[in-house]
Amino acid sequence: MFIADSMTPEPVTVSADISIADAASLLERHHFRHLPVVDQENRLLGMVTDRDLRSASPSTMLDQDTRDQVLARVGSATVGEIMSTDFVSLSPDSTLDDALLLFKTRAIGALPVLDRQGRVVGIFSLNDMMAAYRRLFGLGEKGSVLIAIEEQSGQPPLGDLVHALEEENILFTRLLRTPAQDSEAGMIYLRVNTMNIRRAHRVIEKAGFQIHIPHSSGKRSSQSR
Amino acid sequence: MNHGKQIALITDPTYLDHDTGGGEHPEVPERLQVITGQLLSGPLAGQIRQVAPRPASREELMLFHPESWLFRFEEAVLSGRTYIDHPDNQIGYESYQVAILSAGAGLTGIDLIEKEDHPASMITFCATRPPGHHAEPTRPFGFCFFNNCVLAARYWQQQYGRRRICVLDFDAHHGNGIQTAFEEDAEVLYVSIHEHPSFSYPGTGWAEERGLGPGKGTLLNIPLPPGSRDDQVLEALDGMVFPHVRDFAPEAMVIAAGFDAHLEDDMSGLAYSTALYGRIGRRLAAWSESFCPGRLLHILEGGYHLPVLGDCVETYLKGLAGHES
Repeated sequence: MFIADSMTPEPVTVSADISIADAASLLERHHFRHLPVVDQENRLLGMVTDRDLRSASPSTMLDQDTRDQVLARVGSATVGEIMSTDFVSLSPDSTLDDALLLFKTRAIGALPVLDRQGRVVGIFSLNDMMAAYRRLFGLGEKGSVLIAIEEQSGQPPLGDLVHALEEENILFTRLLRTPAQDSEAGMIYLRVNTMNIRRAHRVIEKAGFQIHIPHSSGKRSSQSR
Repeated sequence: MNHGKQIALITDPTYLDHDTGGGEHPEVPERLQVITGQLLSGPLAGQIRQVAPRPASREELMLFHPESWLFRFEEAVLSGRTYIDHPDNQIGYESYQVAILSAGAGLTGIDLIEKEDHPASMITFCATRPPGHHAEPTRPFGFCFFNNCVLAARYWQQQYGRRRICVLDFDAHHGNGIQTAFEEDAEVLYVSIHEHPSFSYPGTGWAEERGLGPGKGTLLNIPLPPGSRDDQVLEALDGMVFPHVRDFAPEAMVIAAGFDAHLEDDMSGLAYSTALYGRIGRRLAAWSESFCPGRLLHILEGGYHLPVLGDCVETYLKGLAGHES
């Protein structure tokens, strides 16, 4: 839920006076694409991305002399000259929602995480976010199955479902409800931890809920047998 | 085609002693009773020779499972616990010994194949329980305690030097334990056709997983959407699995034979017909004939709908024996 739990802590940072070439080789060595630029107290001054570094390199379309001139100039240039100071950041207390919205509106791939003093304490990338949502939804947890339930009018309160599962000792780790929208029915998603899916279906149906069988399925629900 | 193939049916009444507690647990002793009942009273009866399995030794179990798991399993049983880690994994007082005998069925089958003068004229099917393909090195999962197929493949390698093994799994569920064993192993190709992990236990077996490190390329997961029928399976077998197996050129094949993808079996959302198992059997017989004549071992995994289970296994064996239907 909170960025502190999902960020990469203590990321590699650079000072503003290192050369563009050194920054580029650092990114290449560590296989990441975003580099926070910090002052001596580790406070964030700006962000440099691999794209910034590439853009600072001479175009391959230039003739060799011009390329060499540009290269000489770039070789001595520092990241302080090309870093972006118009950065957005997260705090350790920010939520995954904050990050998701920022990624969407700003179209960026990683966000620095700053403490109250503006010091870099972590970095949060799109990959970190996918991993966080993967954990949140339990994707890939060995021994689990997702069951979809289609909401019906007049169905019993959700509490009945939870009660029935707990009563029957059917373990579940996720319960998500999405409201009906336009033509889409409301759904309840349950991640249960059991291979005995048949029994789980029966308990859910007995509690008055309807299992959603994907439309391609040639099988009937256990109730209709 | 030689319809007179002998069928070595490796099974033991002791397998019925693994008590899953009654109630609604689907992995029941009756599963084996319907299989043997059907086979011994049906058209294949004359070709069947029943063979008693030997128990796997401690060293053989440790080809995949560390001693810590053996101790934990045995202790749980002796202390009268009714399940380990999860209510799915029901145990009774006999379960540890039965599981060791279940793991031994594959080893018995391999010994039989390797000592047979004409192994290609024999079909070796282990009707065994508890099943194995979900078992991890130190954890039971999905009714499985020891990974029977993994142990068989390792035994084949160690005892007989057959290094390149293909483990093919057509159970409705992905064999997570088999993938764990061989994910980084270039010498074992694991192929699994199963219901898509978004909808199905154990939530593993994604198509993009193709093996790790040296094992890159020797893992083939083929998840099928719920409702998938015979056509999709045959298409996958002919279009994807066969080229992989051919290129891998196995020296031996271990088949994780699960029958819970049948239309009537509500342990999965897949919708296979009984006849499909015969068509799978015919393909496997032909493939092994090309790559590793006679070195083809079948180990029962799932299959829980008792009214069709016997039919499914019989149809599969008929396919292996070259019967037309």
